[in-house]
Amino acid sequence: MSRDKKVIVIPCSGIGKPIGTVSRETTYETIENLAKGKAETVCLALLVSGDKDTIKKVKDNYVITLDGCARRCAQKNVEQYGKTPDKSHMILKFAAANPDKKPRGLIDIGNSGRVLVNTIADTVAKDVEDLIENKKDAEKKNNH
Amino acid sequence: MDNKITQKTESEKNKKVGIVSCSGEDLPEGSISRLATLEVLLKRKPFDTTTICLPLYIAGGEGDRMFAKNYPTITVDGCEKLCAKKATEKFSGKVTHSINVKDFLKEGEEPVNRCNLNDMEKEIAGRVADEIEKNVDRILNEGQD
Repeated sequence: MSRDKKVIVIPCSGIGKPIGTVSRETTYETIENLAKGKAETVCLALLVSGDKDTIKKVKDNYVITLDGCARRCAQKNVEQYGKTPDKSHMILKFAAANPDKKPRGLIDIGNSGRVLVNTIADTVAKDVEDLIENKKDAEKKNNH
Repeated sequence: MDNKITQKTESEKNKKVGIVSCSGEDLPEGSISRLATLEVLLKRKPFDTTTICLPLYIAGGEGDRMFAKNYPTITVDGCEKLCAKKATEKFSGKVTHSINVKDFLKEGEEPVNRCNLNDMEKEIAGRVADEIEKNVDRILNEGQD
């Protein structure tokens, strides 16, 4: 049932690049602040290791993936279980479009990096709203 | 004069220890695992360590899956599910040492933040980093468990 569905936001692990930290912090800004109660996350590592509960959660809900680089780890790890993410974002594209908002480092992305996080999180939070509202409407229409 | 004994081989010169952290997005201990791993990679042992994004075992190629065969590897996990250890052993090779953040919590310590870690959570990460660093030194000096 659509009204019970949440949006699972899954960042790449991105441990080797500051943009990976941006991906992760964008997820937290979305699920803990902007779309609190509507979105949550799962450990990507649990998908990698084949955890059944995590696979079911991903299959039963809407999914947004946030990848830091072109290798698209988050998207591909979701797709391997037959689920196409409802939205897939490439964080590098946001970074390229906002050259004045650069993450400072891997551990601390700095003020500039946090501005980038807020910019991306706004987009992701809108996606969350769209997925929940639009898909709910679409399913209602299909049921009538 | 035969100086082979005192000379390091190319492979010894290039020897690094791999550190693989769980991604652990959904729990505070996952962020502690990540912070401890980065502390060692970037600050304490930058020339002796390397890493890989764990999901690359699935999303990457054969070269990525050679990681644990190319480097003696320490896995750092945030919970008892031990995703980093299990995925590394399933897709890449045997790990040399495994660390679970939960084993480094003192009585009464309960991490709550997934981002913006507080002082107590950073202190736990420091303890885990100590353990990683100790094992990096041991592996570089002695070899495997």
